[in-house]
Amino acid sequence: MDVALYIHVPFCLRRCTYCDFNTYAGLLDLRLAYIAALERELSLLAARHGRLRITTVYCGGGTPSLLGEAVADVLRTVQAQFTLADAAEITLEANPGTVDATLLGAWRAAGVNRLSLGVQSACANELALLGRIHTWKEVVEAVTLARRAGFDNLSLDLMFGLPGQTLAHWEHTLAQVLALAPEHLSLYALTLEEGTTLAAQVAAGVAPLPDPDLAADMYEAASDILCAAGFWQYEISNWARGLSMPLTIWSLPPGGQTESIGPWASRHNLAYWRNQSWLGVGAGAHSSWGGRRWHNLLHPDAYIHLLERGEWPVAEEEHIPPALVQGETMMLGLRLAEGVTAADFRERFGAELAEVYAPIIARLMEAGLLEWDGGRARLSVRGRLLGNQVFATFLPE
Amino acid sequence: MDSRYIRNFSIIAHIDHGKSTLADRLLEVTGTVESRKFSSQSQLLDSMALEQEKGVTIKASAVQMHWKAADGMTYELNLIDTPGHVDFAYEVSRALAACEGAVLVVDATQGVEAQTLANLYLALENDLEIVPVINKIDLATADVPRVTHEVAELLGMPQEDVIAVSAKEGTNVEAILQAVVDHVPPPSGADEAAPLRALIFDSHYDSYKGVIAYVRLQEGRVTRDTPLLMMATDAKTEPVEVGVFTPDMQPVEQLCAGEVGYIATGLKTVREAHVGDTVTEARRPASEPLPGYRAVKPMVFASLYPSEADDYANLRDALEKLQLNDASLTYIPETSQALQFGFRCGFLGLFHMDIVQERLEREYNQDLVVTAPSVAYQVVLTNGEEIEIHRPADLPDPSTIQEVREPWMKVQVITPTEYLGAVMEIFRRKRANLLMTETLDNLRVLLTFETPLAEMVIDLHDRLKSATRGYASMDYAFDSYRPDDLVKVDVLVNKDSVDALAIIVHRDMAYDKGSLLIRKMKEAIPRQLFEVPIQAVVGGKVIARVNVQALRKDVLAKCYGGDITRKRKLLEKQKAGKKRMKQLGNVIIPQEAFLAMLRLDED
Ligand SMILES: Nc1nc2c(ncn2[C@@H]2O[C@H](COP(=O)(O)OP(=O)(O)OP(=O)(O)O)[C@@H](O)[C@H]2O)c(=O)[nH]1
Ligand code: SF4
Ligand SMILES: [Mg+2]
Repeated sequence: MDVALYIHVPFCLRRCTYCDFNTYAGLLDLRLAYIAALERELSLLAARHGRLRITTVYCGGGTPSLLGEAVADVLRTVQAQFTLADAAEITLEANPGTVDATLLGAWRAAGVNRLSLGVQSACANELALLGRIHTWKEVVEAVTLARRAGFDNLSLDLMFGLPGQTLAHWEHTLAQVLALAPEHLSLYALTLEEGTTLAAQVAAGVAPLPDPDLAADMYEAASDILCAAGFWQYEISNWARGLSMPLTIWSLPPGGQTESIGPWASRHNLAYWRNQSWLGVGAGAHSSWGGRRWHNLLHPDAYIHLLERGEWPVAEEEHIPPALVQGETMMLGLRLAEGVTAADFRERFGAELAEVYAPIIARLMEAGLLEWDGGRARLSVRGRLLGNQVFATFLPE
Repeated sequence: MDSRYIRNFSIIAHIDHGKSTLADRLLEVTGTVESRKFSSQSQLLDSMALEQEKGVTIKASAVQMHWKAADGMTYELNLIDTPGHVDFAYEVSRALAACEGAVLVVDATQGVEAQTLANLYLALENDLEIVPVINKIDLATADVPRVTHEVAELLGMPQEDVIAVSAKEGTNVEAILQAVVDHVPPPSGADEAAPLRALIFDSHYDSYKGVIAYVRLQEGRVTRDTPLLMMATDAKTEPVEVGVFTPDMQPVEQLCAGEVGYIATGLKTVREAHVGDTVTEARRPASEPLPGYRAVKPMVFASLYPSEADDYANLRDALEKLQLNDASLTYIPETSQALQFGFRCGFLGLFHMDIVQERLEREYNQDLVVTAPSVAYQVVLTNGEEIEIHRPADLPDPSTIQEVREPWMKVQVITPTEYLGAVMEIFRRKRANLLMTETLDNLRVLLTFETPLAEMVIDLHDRLKSATRGYASMDYAFDSYRPDDLVKVDVLVNKDSVDALAIIVHRDMAYDKGSLLIRKMKEAIPRQLFEVPIQAVVGGKVIARVNVQALRKDVLAKCYGGDITRKRKLLEKQKAGKKRMKQLGNVIIPQEAFLAMLRLDED
């Protein structure tokens, strides 16, 4: 059985102003105990599921780079408990403010073959507003060092729709980032999450409220610029450099499947969007396996504590009934440029996509949000920006 | 009870002049209610929670007292406390029809006001004996000599007959009882042997005892064992109980000619016993019913819809029961494309409309959507036919209309002279004509205007109160229907007209009102997947237009393994929210926003 493995690292040096992820500042002292707990959880999983074949590993956070060279220990445990596929994609998220040549070399040597750097912006004022701990200069250095260490699959995260951000700022950031020649880009529109510092600043009027129409303009500008630079948009927020040039924005991958673009689309994340099984370890990590989805206790203390006693650190488990699995498959699959094919749907559910969703498809096509050619459903160019309106309709009542 | 020792009287006054407080004192000095009960609650007869909260009487309430007069005899005094607000004049008129006398209360700090006059005239029309009282003499601002003079003048009575009291402190209130005994005649023609004739002047519904009819017996007697007949509806019943209000319902052996009390009819369907009907004996029916009441004509109309379409039947039941206790409420079913199934209701005024809405919400647990109030229009069609419409959307195509008439009211305002200018300005903006100015004394004037009711229903009362710091008082009554250049402004959302939003206005104001409406609408409608034009249309011509831009971006940014459940729940919530929205054609808008639209006011 092939499976994607996610490893969560819930530590950051400081919380960014927009961040509501399961991460904690000031808990780095727990690092060693946490790594031990991760290793225990991995062996519990192996004991339960047998020797699974791991096709992708994604070490995310938080700031996984804060584990330092211990990343290698964790990967060794994975290898010891499971079978790591030969060409496994092994991604590590890193904060540009936390890397140096030695570490990068160690990670590469330990098998990490994809590095995802949280860049967010090339503008100093925006980095400050977001509370990032690094400068643009450090981003450039991190990329240079990563290349030197042998990373040939580099992904950079960017954010747009920020308070006070102009279209010109955004285009500047894009140009700067393209000059670094990454293989992959993730572009996220800011959402002001409740309880974050940034949301409070906006509510208090200290930071201006972002204009959603301007964010839409930024998204469209990015689509054009990245398309011209040879990037294929294969998911709502993700672009990968292609082996060939895309003809237009949001082109269907040449062979109908994301993989046909080239080797740089995130294979790990594709597993999520294709609603395949994955296992997650670490505090708050989610897993999806055989019609169930569960997640671990959020706080690293609690997580460590349970594993020290040899118990499962699960906080909540959910059974996903078949109709919901179908709906979620649409909700996730339609995020991809490849969309959802009738053939895959039939193979997985033994049902006809066109029949199950006939009225919905008709309605969404009429609204210009969905393309359907009889064999494949995918978002239209406009639909990319209105995904929620589409996804919600596929969820059961 | 020998009817010579019965006195039936109402307390009438302008709003807030102290009727209910005076009733408290009368209950206290007669020993009907123990003194200690008043320490925790005042205005005991304002028994509805809403009345206590607002400090305003909404319903007339009856109570029986016994009091030993100067002649050493004990009298049965049936008192009915009445509301002062003009919207409840119908309550007052029904109470007065059950009495031979009225205690007219005037606040010594205010003097005669608009409803003092209106209620006095009602009492005189009913040939009632008036007992004049000036109240609140304990207050430093009371001007007893001036107000005594004013009241004596008004009634053409000697000043000595005006009784000065403090209802709050209980000063001199027994003098009122003595005056009632001395001057109010006992019930006339109270023939106990004749077949029963009892007029239902009010009622309420009790789930155990059925319809409780509040009655004034003209002739005859009634006991628990008297089989009864409702003369208008032909319904027959065996009463469950007869009794009097003390002020709680207290069963008695029998009620006799001249008395006021209640009959628990046991009737379960509220349609079978209604206010104004005459109760008689089934075995020995009276030949003629009592005159009853003239039907009231509702002046203000609005539609009530349940927030959830499923609650339609509940709302219908609630209205039926409430109507039993509020004889002036009228309603008929209607449908609206945005609001589905509901009722078009007629009210006596805006305050009445608010009260009905609040009572439905509180006493009957209804969750309501209420449209903006409008008035009844008379429409003469080109084919000569005449129709009356109760909601703006029903105004026919202009090409078929010969004439539209709207109700005009005669309005009397009493204001201190210093606010004269402000009052005139308010009415000028309401298309009003000033008919008469009378000086009451050197401080106050009585102004008589005529103005379209449609202008009044918007905010006249509030404006008047704020412009005169509460010093002006107002009374109004229907005058006549008059033609004018009235047009319907339709609101089109994405080319579909929204019936609940249509308004009828004078042609000169069509543009202003239309623009205001669509601007508000634009704020209310969230962006849709397509651009939504909103237009104000008169007679097929667009007079104003705004657009709600199409929604461009609605997508969850990051969506990785970690948060699939959370993102799905967000979408589910978004989807559930949509279900609570109102559908206008293919445009959906949140219920709250729609409500805000319906409550459109001037500024
Ligand atoms: N100082 C003083 N206040 C009084 C007196 N009588 C009534 N009030 C006050 O005047 C206010 C109105 O009294 P109510 O008895 O509710 O007046 P009402 O005429 O029944 O009012 P509606 O039923 O709403 O028309 C209350 O705040 C009373 O406390 C009085 O003799 N002296
Ligand atoms: S680095 Fe990432 S996980 Fe850490 S606080 Fe910032 S945004 Fe959140
Ligand atoms: Mg009162």
